[in-house]
Amino acid sequence: MNADAQRKRAVGHILLFAAGLLVLTAISAGSVHLVNKAREDSRSVQRTLEVENQLSVVQLQLRRAESAQRGYLATLRPDFRRDFEQAMSELTPALTRLSQLISDNPVQRQLINEMMPLYDQRIEEFRTTMELARSQRMNDAAKIVREGIGRDTMKHIDDLAGRMRAEEDRLFTERTTNADRSQALAASITGIGSGFVVVLAGIAIFLVRRSSRARDVADAKLRDSHLNLEATIDERTADLREANDEIQRFAYIVSHDLRSPLVNIMGFTSELEELRGDIFKRIAALSRAQSAVPATAENATDTAEPELQGADKQLSEDFSEALEFIKSSIGKMDRLISAILNLTREGRREFEPVAIDTKELIEGIVTTVAHQAAEAQAEIRIEALPNIVSDRLALEQIFSNLIDNALKYLKTGVPGEISVRGRTKLGFAIFEISDNGRGIDPKDHQRIFDLFRRAGTQDKPGQGIGLAHVRALVRRLGGTMSVASELHQGSTFTITLPINWSANRNTRI
Amino acid sequence: MSNPVSIIMIEDDEGHARLIERNIRRSGVNNDIIPFTSGTAALNYLFGKDGTGLDHKGSALLILLDLNLPDTSGIDILKRVKENQYLKTTPVVVLTTTDDSQEIKRCYELGCNVYITKPVNYESFANAIRQLGLFFSVIQVPPAAT
Repeated sequence: MNADAQRKRAVGHILLFAAGLLVLTAISAGSVHLVNKAREDSRSVQRTLEVENQLSVVQLQLRRAESAQRGYLATLRPDFRRDFEQAMSELTPALTRLSQLISDNPVQRQLINEMMPLYDQRIEEFRTTMELARSQRMNDAAKIVREGIGRDTMKHIDDLAGRMRAEEDRLFTERTTNADRSQALAASITGIGSGFVVVLAGIAIFLVRRSSRARDVADAKLRDSHLNLEATIDERTADLREANDEIQRFAYIVSHDLRSPLVNIMGFTSELEELRGDIFKRIAALSRAQSAVPATAENATDTAEPELQGADKQLSEDFSEALEFIKSSIGKMDRLISAILNLTREGRREFEPVAIDTKELIEGIVTTVAHQAAEAQAEIRIEALPNIVSDRLALEQIFSNLIDNALKYLKTGVPGEISVRGRTKLGFAIFEISDNGRGIDPKDHQRIFDLFRRAGTQDKPGQGIGLAHVRALVRRLGGTMSVASELHQGSTFTITLPINWSANRNTRI
Repeated sequence: MSNPVSIIMIEDDEGHARLIERNIRRSGVNNDIIPFTSGTAALNYLFGKDGTGLDHKGSALLILLDLNLPDTSGIDILKRVKENQYLKTTPVVVLTTTDDSQEIKRCYELGCNVYITKPVNYESFANAIRQLGLFFSVIQVPPAAT
């Protein structure tokens, strides 16, 4: 899975989430709006109903007033008059309420404006007749009733009321429809929104499952490659080990086989040396015989020290010089071969991890070099050191080589100060051996660890093996080593070794 | 050394052989020295045509053996000599460049009588061989037959 696809997927997730949020917001807003609208619609419906109700109340009270008038006219009983007054008292507020309710509707307002004078007229008629009746003018009252004006007015009022009711019915139907529509819309919006959310959730679940599947696949791949890596490492380790063994064997055999001809060269060089003695003795004798020097008698007994003259003497010296060079070279070669042999022998030794009191070990080494230290006027200081589990002999060789070097390469005329420090870090023990000696040029830092290579003034005996050997040992012990130094500024060698080294880990590599 | 003892020198390097012979002679040993430059030739001589070593029944031998031979390993020769019923009493002096302690131990385990490392330093080498010659002149070698 590459980074591009991953980024795409992340963007997809964010978009999906945003879309879901948007849909939910839209649904909520829509629902709130529609609920409000529905509430308004139902309030309108309610008002329509109330209008009709009030209309009925008005008509009822009018009818009640009429029947009370008739009753009064017929009987003149005060009960009817009281009834009439009561109807009147209820009619007026009902009318007021009705006109309030329909004040927003121009059609109804017109109707009620038309109706109001009729009411007034009708009520006036009732009062007039009842007043006449009370003052015993029954005939006048009956005449007014008989004229039928009141009936016409009444009919007109009923007609107007019918029209108002019709209008209200129309409004009612309209508002009900509106309310229904609003509710239906709200329901459908909620439904569609929910559907959207469900779909989005489905997509989200699909995406999550897909990415978790991808992660599982990646996990499996990672595990596989991890296993592969381990197998590869094992393989490489085995290869390295084999190569290392091969090199060890090779070095061993080569150094052995080199030794054999060396014995011959050395042997026959020595034979030559003896022959040289014989030859020059004879040359001396011959030249003496030729020149017939009077001193012959005197020298005749001296066979060991033939006297050579001029060119012969020169020849003899050249001969000796050549032989000396050959012999010193052989000696050097022999030392190198011995060194390689020792190294390969070290490389083949099995290490044995034991608990080591490092301070005690280094104190032991310091005791053995006490004589050199005194000669160089050097002081070796040992600070607190961590104890480790490692191979004792290897550790002794490492530290004694480094301390030897520190003593060997001090500045002449300056009292030496050598210190050994130690600390631990993350399962490793770090040792530092510092001196105030002649130091090492940074360009030689790598070189000094190479076999048979040395740096600086070559005024001390040595084969250039010590540090190569030390580094090989440190590596075999699973550690590393480095040097920090400037010319004339002293050197610090740092060795990092595992605190708990076990032989079956990192051996022979 | 009683006269019939002959020295079998198994050494592939002729230079070494020459140096050894010369220095043995210098120490005054005049016994026969029979040189072999390969293990096979030496084995053929030691064990004879029938391979039993019967040829040398009754003769006194001393073997000077180099371990690094081109055809057979000196260790094998040592082993075969020490396993052979006629030859096993023959003294074997291993004279070789190998100074590996494991190798030395192995040789003694197989019955080698003396193990000498060839020094590169010629003085030491010559000295060692001369002393070996002196050693030869006093050593008593039993006849190979039993």
